[in-house]
Amino acid sequence: MSYAIETSGLHYRAGKAFELGDLNLRVPTGSIYGFLGPNGSGKTTTIRLCLGLLRAARGTVHVLGHTIPGDTPRMFARVGYVPERPHLYPTLTVRETLAFHGAFHPRWDRAAAAELLRSFALEPETRINRLSKGESGKLLMLMALAQRPDLLVLDEPTDGLDPVVRRDVLMAVIDFVSESGATVFVSSHLIHELERICDWVGVMDRGRLVADVPMHSFKNGIKRLRIRNAPAQVGDAPFVLLARERGDGASGTEVWVVRGWQPTMYQYFEGIGAVLQDVVDLDLEEGFVELLRTARTPRGA
Amino acid sequence: MFAAVCRVQWKASFTAVVLLAVAGFTVPLLAVQRAGFSVGDRRAWDLVNMLTSVETTGTLFPVLAVIVGLALAVSAWSADHQGDHVYALTLPVPRWYYVLLRFGAGALLVVPITAAVGLGCALAIGSLDLPVGLRTYAMAVTLRFTLAALVGYALMFALAAGSKRTSAMVLGGVAVMLALTEVLAAAGLGLLVDLLVGRLGPFEIFAGPWTLIGV
Amino acid sequence: MYYYTNTLNRMFDDVDPRSPIPLYDQIASRIRLAVAAGDIAEGAALPSVRQLAARLRINPATVVQAYRVLEGEGFVEMRQGSGTYARGVGADRRKRTQEDQAARLARGLLDEAARLGIRGEDVVHAMRRELGAGEG
Repeated sequence: MSYAIETSGLHYRAGKAFELGDLNLRVPTGSIYGFLGPNGSGKTTTIRLCLGLLRAARGTVHVLGHTIPGDTPRMFARVGYVPERPHLYPTLTVRETLAFHGAFHPRWDRAAAAELLRSFALEPETRINRLSKGESGKLLMLMALAQRPDLLVLDEPTDGLDPVVRRDVLMAVIDFVSESGATVFVSSHLIHELERICDWVGVMDRGRLVADVPMHSFKNGIKRLRIRNAPAQVGDAPFVLLARERGDGASGTEVWVVRGWQPTMYQYFEGIGAVLQDVVDLDLEEGFVELLRTARTPRGA
Repeated sequence: MFAAVCRVQWKASFTAVVLLAVAGFTVPLLAVQRAGFSVGDRRAWDLVNMLTSVETTGTLFPVLAVIVGLALAVSAWSADHQGDHVYALTLPVPRWYYVLLRFGAGALLVVPITAAVGLGCALAIGSLDLPVGLRTYAMAVTLRFTLAALVGYALMFALAAGSKRTSAMVLGGVAVMLALTEVLAAAGLGLLVDLLVGRLGPFEIFAGPWTLIGV
Repeated sequence: MYYYTNTLNRMFDDVDPRSPIPLYDQIASRIRLAVAAGDIAEGAALPSVRQLAARLRINPATVVQAYRVLEGEGFVEMRQGSGTYARGVGADRRKRTQEDQAARLARGLLDEAARLGIRGEDVVHAMRRELGAGEG
């Protein structure tokens, strides 16, 4: 399997408080990779490190086969980047911005830019500092897509945008991926949005990558079990017990959150004299919350 | 790419270039006028008076050259500064190449301003009926102005390109140096000052001469 | 043709990304049933990968996967550069598909009944009553 983004042992430090430790990120080529994590977990920092905007203290970064930071300009010819905060020249108009951007990118597709300008309903003569948040979000995406990149790196591309604009932006991305097979690396808070389109998931928490798996195994891996007559001690279970809590109301009922559940494991409960009442699937958001909760508390606590 | 940067640079510098071109055009005319002549006036005049006024007004040239350098350098980088240079760092060209493009685009904008200066000089001198023995230095002054503006621009460009912290440090250093020269001169060490400032290679160009008309 | 496209698109409206059933499976089973039931005529064009992915805002690879599964089962045909088209299915294939779906429904119903503490036999009795009421 080839990787569009590959980091190894990446370390970064900013001040006393923030540290990114031993990051081994692997984004498969051609995938749509969702990068999740709470605020301050280091998602934007990781992205900046991968794009050579920050320098790591230790470790290596390869993007589309290019070594970063050595080969950064050539990498940017093939990578479309949508940053968290707009970084455009404020006094230029939309049209001038696109002309400037296009002059620097070898694969700039004027027809595609014009088409997206139309479908995003952006006025070419508007100044950048007069654009609304939604409009500048759309413009940044337009610029990244019209470059015809092999990799799209999107840092919270729909943050703060209203649902209609979000839909337009996502559809443009999907459209592009359909015809180009480009890899997409997208970080977002909006988990439900990512759930629809991503086939890989990476989860950051406090500077560390706590999960890096295909979407289906992330979702199917974590379940919530309702158990009656649960034993006090849990030893030798075939799954990983992430958390256990008293259930609501009914005596002796507990709710367990487990990882690595297989349907055949109901036999385990019969063996210990407990009753497995229910197996609930967690959607991506719940799975994500549970994963973080357990990543932070020590086992057995 | 260079054309694209030029277009963007022109937009950012437009007002400054126009104002400075007008100023550049005016200065030589002012030099001649303050001698008591208006353009086209062919009366007899006082030689000493005229030469003095040309010399004193001539000091406006280096000042203008510095302003030109400053204005063009600041407007070269203002757009990038506002975004903390992130956009430029994500363009698929090496950093040094981008800096070169910006530098070149700004340097090109010196041309219209110095053209205006040249025009003003030519007009000022052409309007006078000078006696034999006096020489005019329209070409020399214009050329000197161009070089001075470019030197000023190069220095300011380097300052403006750096981070805000480096710029503050460099400017602070220059201020300290100037203050130091004043102190030394006041303490009677004028010769030392002369040596220091005089030997500062490219800055000598600002020293002159800036006289349009001379002997 | 336009009418068909509309119905085809609407039938994916309740696809649920949060469900544990993989998206490609949800899409594939809807098409499988529609073809088996004859709702999609033989030779009719299915939405293009691009269209469907954009409309549902899902990964185009998911749509491709669904279409490939169906092609493997013989329900559709993917023609290079042209699109994906429904194939005719024989009567016994149609019957088998519907039986499979009935089995899935039954399994789901019985699972849910077990969760609620209702016995399987009671569900069957209730089912018979419902069927009888329908005919009566």
